[in-house]
Amino acid sequence: MKNTEAIEPTKELKISSPPTGFQVIAREFMKDKLAMFSLISLIIVIGGIYIWATQIDQTQLMRISLRDKLAAPGDKFWLGADKGGRDILGQLIIGARNSLNIAIAVTVITSIIGVAIGLVTGYFGGWIDNIFMRIIDFFITIPSLMIIIVFVSIIPKYSIIEFIMIMSLFLWVGTARLIRSKALSESRRDYISASKTLGTRNFTIIFKEMMPNLSSILIVEMTLNFAGNVGLETGLSYLGFGLPPSTPSLGTLVSYANDPYIMENAWWNWLPASLLILLLMLGINYVGQAIRRSADARQRLG
Amino acid sequence: MWKTIIRRVLVMIPQLFVLSLLIFIMAKFMPGDPFTGLITPETDPARIEELRIKAGFYDPWYVQYVNWIGNAFQGDFGRSYTFNVPVSNLIGDRALNTLWLALLSTFLLYLIAIPLGVLAGRFQDSFLDKSIVFYSFIVYAIPTFVLGLINLFFFGYELGWFPTSGTVDIKYDSGTAGYLWSKFYHILLPAITYALLATTGVIQYLRTEVIDSKSMDYVRTAKSKGIPINKVYSRHIFRNSLLPIAAFLGFTITGLLGGSIFIETIFGYPGMGQLFIQSVNGRDYSVITALVMLFGFLTLLGSLLSDIIMSIVDPRIRID
Amino acid sequence: MSFMQIKDLKVHYPIRGGFFNTVVDNVHAVDGISLEFEKGKAYGLVGESGCGKSTTGKSIIGLEKITSGSIIYEGEDVTNKVRGRNTAYNRDIQMIFQDAHSSLNPRKRVQDIIAEPIRNFLKLSPGEERKRINELLAIVGMSEEARLKYPHEFSGGQKQRIGIARAIASNPKLIIADEPVSALDLSVQAQVLNFLKDIQEEYGLSYLFISHDLGVVKHMCDNISIMYKGRFVESGNRKDIYTNPQHIYTKRLLSAIPEVNPNDREERKKIRRAVEVDYLTNHHNYYDENGRVFDLQPVSETHQVATSAQNKGGI
Repeated sequence: MKNTEAIEPTKELKISSPPTGFQVIAREFMKDKLAMFSLISLIIVIGGIYIWATQIDQTQLMRISLRDKLAAPGDKFWLGADKGGRDILGQLIIGARNSLNIAIAVTVITSIIGVAIGLVTGYFGGWIDNIFMRIIDFFITIPSLMIIIVFVSIIPKYSIIEFIMIMSLFLWVGTARLIRSKALSESRRDYISASKTLGTRNFTIIFKEMMPNLSSILIVEMTLNFAGNVGLETGLSYLGFGLPPSTPSLGTLVSYANDPYIMENAWWNWLPASLLILLLMLGINYVGQAIRRSADARQRLG
Repeated sequence: MWKTIIRRVLVMIPQLFVLSLLIFIMAKFMPGDPFTGLITPETDPARIEELRIKAGFYDPWYVQYVNWIGNAFQGDFGRSYTFNVPVSNLIGDRALNTLWLALLSTFLLYLIAIPLGVLAGRFQDSFLDKSIVFYSFIVYAIPTFVLGLINLFFFGYELGWFPTSGTVDIKYDSGTAGYLWSKFYHILLPAITYALLATTGVIQYLRTEVIDSKSMDYVRTAKSKGIPINKVYSRHIFRNSLLPIAAFLGFTITGLLGGSIFIETIFGYPGMGQLFIQSVNGRDYSVITALVMLFGFLTLLGSLLSDIIMSIVDPRIRID
Repeated sequence: MSFMQIKDLKVHYPIRGGFFNTVVDNVHAVDGISLEFEKGKAYGLVGESGCGKSTTGKSIIGLEKITSGSIIYEGEDVTNKVRGRNTAYNRDIQMIFQDAHSSLNPRKRVQDIIAEPIRNFLKLSPGEERKRINELLAIVGMSEEARLKYPHEFSGGQKQRIGIARAIASNPKLIIADEPVSALDLSVQAQVLNFLKDIQEEYGLSYLFISHDLGVVKHMCDNISIMYKGRFVESGNRKDIYTNPQHIYTKRLLSAIPEVNPNDREERKKIRRAVEVDYLTNHHNYYDENGRVFDLQPVSETHQVATSAQNKGGI
């Protein structure tokens, strides 16, 4: 508790603010230089990827030209070319955009499902809670990575949408469990009881009274899930069970390394994608942990 | 104590049942059947059909399910059609390889993580602590396959310190010292990779535990009695902090299983994880179902183990 | 004439255990109590912590499920009715919580906190709602500036006053006050208590005042019930309880009130010892062999005490 006086927001701020939320997170980032740096770099990198990706013609990019097979980095291809003579840099940008899109979609879907189920089961308890806890326990104890892989391999007419659905099917569980436990303790607080005695409907209490108080936990959870989903998607694509081979993905680029010749002699095929994944994971996770610190008053820097 | 363990085991049964049902249904959706692999231009289609009827291919699904489960209980998971050997034999060999990898990984994990965790806790907020915390953040954030590949590239290919695939050099005869050493040498890089990835949990737990116990009364008493500070750490804090770490063992098993799919694929190590990927690619569904069941069972066992150790170590935690 | 009657109210919680986690026993948190409420009167519920007094309050307002017994409000049975915004009962019974801080949603501004019952029950236009909020703030002695602030910007006493403003917003008839001042400093306690008394007189409110503090209850309440292990041991008006206690538990409680005057310290010690001896020798007359409190028996028109049937003649 180095800066106890700085935690007193009422004196310096004219407009009142709730004791948690965006202002607190923003203040934490102003204090934590490394987190601020991570955040800004992330915004630049991700923004850059999305803008650049609009400038790339995907069919042109994926056209095979054997003349340029495994071309080394140079003037024609800044980051060289793959076995089919396709530009690595272009694939890297498109692949990163695809990976990010999938991770965002999965994060949004799993958060919505997880939050809804977590809040409802935590608030009501009783038999609803019992049923969902059994389901959640089951999902937690199964080897989900394997089952996702099997799912991917048996789905006919497989595309990005199916991939997102399969991932989401197994990934809502963690969020649901976390939110449930928080909702459980939150729903025992008197302000929830007060709302009940004041005639507010359960639905309104859950989403308008309780959910805002869990918002910081939710932001942390979503950020860390986002990082996890980037990792999982690229990992699955690396193993060959992610995006269809015709769609560039960071994982597919990394999987070029499975060919020992490429691994040893054409590092530009797989190393940039690996480093980009690493960079994204470090950045997102660092930002997520900084938000977590700001959500927890005991860990705040200032 | 026993009552809770038995109850936990009983809870596992319906979970395994639902899992087996799920796997069975998925297997039914897989294209092909165990006999597709036997089809060659010379085989008579009628003969294949006969085999299918004999194997119960056209029975109602629940009859097939009961047969499958019944056989599985006796250790018979059918035949792998790509390797053309019984699945149990195939998995048996691979499981042993994975077991060695897991044992070495776990050993290295604790070897690395325990000193780092204790040091970080003891010298809280020092440069050393900050470096360790930063290290544990990096290995937490880095995906398994990225670290695996980078390690393989630098230490295997660029520096040539480690072999890049397999379990043993063919030049050694089984049973000799050279054979054992070669085997160990092959496991070492994958095991280090896995151990590094898993250190975060143990380091963070130990660090907090040590920091918390610093302000505990029993530590203050020990200090005020004039016990040398090193001894306070080794005798009092370390011992009390170490026990809960044992509970990580179960989670380590669970994590290793998931990680083995990546690690074994990257390092070309013929364990269960690699077998799984090969089977999925080869649509060898009797192997796939057996492996998923086995992994599911081991995952349950891992979490059970953790709970039991936890409740022995800390009686305040009740497993229900 | 009372507007609300509570008859033989019971709240039991199951204790689960054994191999299959079945219900092995029940906790009798509230075990058969009856109360009647009249307009403009304050009722005190006193007892040690864990005796079920808070559970009683919560079950009356619908936060705890009632196991058996009934609540009749203006002739209508409202036991275990789902609380909603369309029933008179829910509008007319409100609650003040012990921990004012946790009873106010930290993410809501004061005006939204006070507006919650207004929006649910009264259906006013935005202008009227605004007026009503200002009015309520004035009643609890706070300025209009408070409207846009968040709960954490107020002191404990101020927060409790916001809680009170919220409770009286829907013009209730009965307010259940669950230890409303026990979390506050002594100096603030008196201020909030007096203020509760003022609004009671002004608006003809009834209170169910739950407290472990006999002094507070004496100051606030017309009728007092002493509770022990989920049952009433004694019930009567202020004079009955404080000057003519009958039950050994009541006597014991009263003798434990600290006295400021140091001169008759020895004398009071003697009284306390006598009460203790009385408690030990007459225990069987007031508790059955399981330690359960007997049913209430009338002593006078206003005064009831729980005692065994044989003992009844002796009083």
